[in-house]
Amino acid sequence: MDAIYFLTLRQLTGRWRVSIMALLAALPVLFTMLVVRSSSTPWVTEFETIVLGTMLAGSVAPLIVVAIACAAFANEVEDRTLANLTLAPIPRWRIVVPKFAAAVTVAAPFIAASALLTSWLAFNHDVAATVAVTLSSLAGVLMYSSAFLWLGLVTRQSIGVGLAYVVLWEGFFSGFVSGVRFLSIRHYAIALMHGLDPRRFVEDPHVGLGATLVIAGLVSGGFLLISTRRLRRMDVP
Amino acid sequence: MSATGAPVIRVDHVSRWFGSVVAVSDVTFDIRPGITGLLGPNGAGKTTLLRMMTGLAAVSDGAVTMFGEPVRDNPPLYGRIGVMSEHETVYPFMTGRQFVGMMAKLRGVRDPGAATERAIGRVELESAADLAMGTYSRGMRQRMRLAATLVHDPEVLILDEPLNGADPRQRVHFQELLRRLAGEGRTIVLSSHILEEVEQLAETVLLIINGKLAASGGFRAIRAALDKRPYHVRIVADAPRALAAAIVGLPSVDAVSLDPDGAIVVLSSKVRDLQVELPRLAQEASISLRRIEPLDDSLESVFGYLVEG
Repeated sequence: MDAIYFLTLRQLTGRWRVSIMALLAALPVLFTMLVVRSSSTPWVTEFETIVLGTMLAGSVAPLIVVAIACAAFANEVEDRTLANLTLAPIPRWRIVVPKFAAAVTVAAPFIAASALLTSWLAFNHDVAATVAVTLSSLAGVLMYSSAFLWLGLVTRQSIGVGLAYVVLWEGFFSGFVSGVRFLSIRHYAIALMHGLDPRRFVEDPHVGLGATLVIAGLVSGGFLLISTRRLRRMDVP
Repeated sequence: MSATGAPVIRVDHVSRWFGSVVAVSDVTFDIRPGITGLLGPNGAGKTTLLRMMTGLAAVSDGAVTMFGEPVRDNPPLYGRIGVMSEHETVYPFMTGRQFVGMMAKLRGVRDPGAATERAIGRVELESAADLAMGTYSRGMRQRMRLAATLVHDPEVLILDEPLNGADPRQRVHFQELLRRLAGEGRTIVLSSHILEEVEQLAETVLLIINGKLAASGGFRAIRAALDKRPYHVRIVADAPRALAAAIVGLPSVDAVSLDPDGAIVVLSSKVRDLQVELPRLAQEASISLRRIEPLDDSLESVFGYLVEG
């Protein structure tokens, strides 16, 4: 498992990929710095909707993860190197889990740093709010990573399909169609943030903290399970 | 290793189709220890068949077993197989030593370091082992891939076009290595478009044409099975015109022609009869036979017959 984990880390940390990830992660921080400098009044609701909900959880985090997690398998499929792994005498989950762990290892620092700095600046160094935003972002990384890891196994156009999912489903439908948000990773990440710091954020009346944690676990575990199943049944190029 | 003579790989009425395209159709054969060559024109279904034999691709119908076990979705079995696909499946940022070492770890080798050195030594690529594989020539990549294929000392080797990109010296070395590995009792399946080399290496040949098994066995046995088709035999004699005139009357001869260089080319559907009749005829006519050679006995010509047929 170590070998696959370190191989994937090396595959996912190309200079261009890391530079683009860093740039994306810096956007909410820069935006928050500009807003904080121009206004001293509290603006929790607007900040939560625009910066945390739309920019960080709805755009930056899924975009970073789609670029990293999809590539974890998609690169191997594209380069026809996946057979090097699937012909190893190890159960398929021992290929999927290190790939997932490597994708999370690469994506999480960018997103966690972005969430931490953004909320630290916006909430005037409020530790509880900063922890809530950072932890919920990390939960989002776990859920998005498992989903996009699976996507990299089911289609050769995983990045395109992933982007369409982020823009249409997470960005558009989940914001306008009330029932869709229960099938939105962004929604659960934000609900977790609410649950972790109900003092700062009004708790989501539809989903409590416990339910959110269970759902986050189910989403991550579920996608890892179907990724393993897919790896067992697919024709390996 | 498998018991001597017992089939190691069994391909039983295997078919594979992609939508309406049939890539492999109802193919059945057994593979035993030794070197087996898989031959066929491009698009014949060789690679699809090899992929099904390694479990990388599913069969649409039929079954593939290795050591009596299903090969598909059977990871424990993969520790006994070494597979080298036709694609250059390497990670260009890795050195050769890192690549072979990683494969050793993935395949659960007890001492990956020692196994890596041994495998690299077998392909004689120690001097380039610490260079990134992205800088290798194609032949070097193939050799390092072969080292990675051998690193866990597999009982079965499945090699798809392994000689691609190898220079003549490397080909000779590769052939010697394969003979040595086969001599150790391993089962080796080798696909190649370089027919001469397969002819020199393989004890058994499987000919795949249009997704079907056209013939199997030793290539001369395959040729013999095609005896209904005429052989071309080239004859060099002292008096070619006189001999050609006499040969025309033999019942085993279908046609006779004279080459510009004076050699006689006989087309015969009954070459065994010709072997008996020709010396007798030459003796009766007091004509010396200098040379008799079959023109169709190479694997290339057998292959050509089957493709055209």
